[in-house]
Amino acid sequence: MAETTFIPFEKVKTVRDTPLEEMYTSGHRTCQGCESAMVMRHFSKAAGPRTIATGSTGCMYVANTSYMTTPWIIPWMHTQLGAGGSSAVGTSAALRALMRKGKIAEEKINVIAFCGDLGGGDMGLSGISAALQTDYDLLIILYDNESAANTDIQATGMTTYGAQTTFTPPGTKHRIMQHRWKKNVAPMLAVGHPTCRYVATASATYPPLDFHNKVRKALSIGGPTFIHTFDPCPKGWDYHPQYSREIGELGIKSGIFPLYEIIDGTVSYSYDARKRARTPVREYLVKQGRFAHIIDEDIDYIQSMVDSMWNEWEIPGVAPFKGGLEPAKN
Amino acid sequence: MIKRVEINYRGIFQKTLAKRIGGDIVIIASRMGKVGFSNGRYSDSPERNGIPCKYFAFVSPDLEEEELEAECGAKLDIDEADVSVVVDDTMVKGVEPWGWHGVRPINEKVVEKGCLLVVSRKRHDELTRFTARTPYSYRLATIDGDASLAGLWVFKDDLTHERVLGAIAAVDPAIIAIDAVEAYLLAKTKQEHRARAAREAYDAVLRQTSVVTPEQGIAWPHETPELPPWHAFEEGAVVRAPARHFEMGPGGQSRNASFKRGTTKTLRPVIRFDLCISCTLCWLDCPDECFDPVEGRLYDVSYAYCVGCGKCADVCPIPECIVMVDELQFDSDASPWEHYRSDPDGYTRWAEEKKGTARYAYPHVTGTGFEIRERESVAPKDLG
Ligand SMILES: Cc1ncc(C[n+]2csc(CCOP(=O)(O)OP(=O)(O)O)c2C)c(N)n1
Ligand code: SF4
Ligand code: SF4
Ligand code: SF4
Ligand SMILES: [Mg+2]
Repeated sequence: MAETTFIPFEKVKTVRDTPLEEMYTSGHRTCQGCESAMVMRHFSKAAGPRTIATGSTGCMYVANTSYMTTPWIIPWMHTQLGAGGSSAVGTSAALRALMRKGKIAEEKINVIAFCGDLGGGDMGLSGISAALQTDYDLLIILYDNESAANTDIQATGMTTYGAQTTFTPPGTKHRIMQHRWKKNVAPMLAVGHPTCRYVATASATYPPLDFHNKVRKALSIGGPTFIHTFDPCPKGWDYHPQYSREIGELGIKSGIFPLYEIIDGTVSYSYDARKRARTPVREYLVKQGRFAHIIDEDIDYIQSMVDSMWNEWEIPGVAPFKGGLEPAKN
Repeated sequence: MIKRVEINYRGIFQKTLAKRIGGDIVIIASRMGKVGFSNGRYSDSPERNGIPCKYFAFVSPDLEEEELEAECGAKLDIDEADVSVVVDDTMVKGVEPWGWHGVRPINEKVVEKGCLLVVSRKRHDELTRFTARTPYSYRLATIDGDASLAGLWVFKDDLTHERVLGAIAAVDPAIIAIDAVEAYLLAKTKQEHRARAAREAYDAVLRQTSVVTPEQGIAWPHETPELPPWHAFEEGAVVRAPARHFEMGPGGQSRNASFKRGTTKTLRPVIRFDLCISCTLCWLDCPDECFDPVEGRLYDVSYAYCVGCGKCADVCPIPECIVMVDELQFDSDASPWEHYRSDPDGYTRWAEEKKGTARYAYPHVTGTGFEIRERESVAPKDLG
């Protein structure tokens, strides 16, 4: 069996050792209970003050830039909707050139680009792909609230099957308008970019510190890296904001959003939904108004897809191949 | 002549409600032979959960439709309102919406003899202790009820919409008349209870209207932050970050001083520091970075920035340690931990008094209402 590469990084071992200082601070206009804001808060905490962030258009741009004010303490720059990857490459290239020419001191400056599920997983995929083939040190975080949330909740390639969005309202003839199964972005990037050393999925709050340490690992291993986060969105998913953490935890425990790291090609589970009894997806779905219209039949379908992900896929929860591996017969 | 109505509501939670009220005012007025027009405040979009927003309705008996639209369309805000409706009473503490900076009084737009119409179970003096003093008198009317909160996809049909329409007819019949409200609701829904709800609210509001004189209300305590105008943008459209600063203690973390967002909350977390086991979860999981680590492994909270999401109370493992309490019970955003440190017993008694015994319990899906439950029993020694 392949050994997982050892990454020397400063691990935060207990919640009490989490850095106290905020690099993304109070005074933003995200919704009550916004989990994407938690991604911002914790990636910047983990990366620390010597970090430059760029952010694609979306909630985490618009809600964090009210007129002439900012909650960012680290330098942050807005970039276009599909430009997460190219902004990361440009920033890293500029830093490298400035250091080579002696215009700024040689030091490690983290470059992190974040983008939403529409901006990164749909529109900006080619730019991220290009970034993952460079030799720059950069981290791309795709924060996935499962919709184009900023423009009032339109379906994207990452919206859960069956969910109501502005683009997919349930009607009297057609109950389900979001027919697409969630795009499997992180594995697509890992499979497609064999030299990319670190790809992971995460949730900002569950398990505690998991995301925080993944950011630290990604920044320590070097080269281009990628993390896909799972962000419950009280506005678009329609649940009371106090339950953000619970909804995230249920998403992971039900196995609908698999948690893992792929380090130098080796997969390791951060929450092993193969081994632990998976919470029925029903418990996750019925707590959200975006699924208020679905019926048992739909829940059974979603459950069967999740079960197939974990029971039938060659690499459970990650790669949707189902064995075979024989020479072609025709 | 133009009659102006503004509906102050909580972003997303009351968006559908406000839109329905505004839209129906226009239809009812047009059935009365007037011209109407309604729109949302442009700068409120995209709305975020909890943020104070506005919806407008304009009615005129004599202007042409184009004239009314030219007068009232695409405005950032209106200058005056004949009726300011407030569908969540905690907004009487002031509102800081999307496109504005600084906390503004809820009655800022109400004209002389106009009406502030609030959905609330509070007495009128419990509301005017927060509203801004005005140089003239205006009316205050209340519709008995709780804030009707719903989600984006699940509307809470609890007759608030019908009752507000009836109440508007009571406070200003020149906008819409109660007979027209009833006729419209009956024709549209064929459901008598909806028309009845409007009529009952109409009757009740006629009894529950008072005059607010220039002596009532408070001197407005919030200053509007001064921000540079657009032409003073620095090269590259640079916006200065809050200065990096952290130390242990209240306010030890630097924050965005020009935009605090405390007016987003309807409930605030009250903390029993003596029950805290220092698990860190409230601090770790607050999406608005509101907790300040203080000595003794406790966490103070900055109410000026707290949006009242309730997450800290949800994740706190100790019963009764963090409880969400009606925002209208509080006059100050001062550090609760300073209070606790200077007088631990006094603070605990104060906190328990504020908490009372009723606890808000929200189901997961927002549009399905909430319950008020009795506090679960906790050992009396723990309650101070
Ligand atoms: C090229 C382009 N097309 C459309 C838009 C309008 N727009 C702004 S934000 C947004 C949604 C982005 O969705 P996502 O990337 O998932 O981020 P979220 O808002 O969900 O955080 C859209 C469509 C834009 N800004 N640029
Ligand atoms: S819409 Fe969703 S992602 Fe956007 S600010 Fe609100 S909770 Fe966060
Ligand atoms: S209610 Fe609690 S978690 Fe929510 S913003 Fe306020 S302090 Fe933070
Ligand atoms: S969550 Fe509760 S017990 Fe834990 S640190 Fe906060 S107040 Fe204390
Ligand atoms: Mg999105």
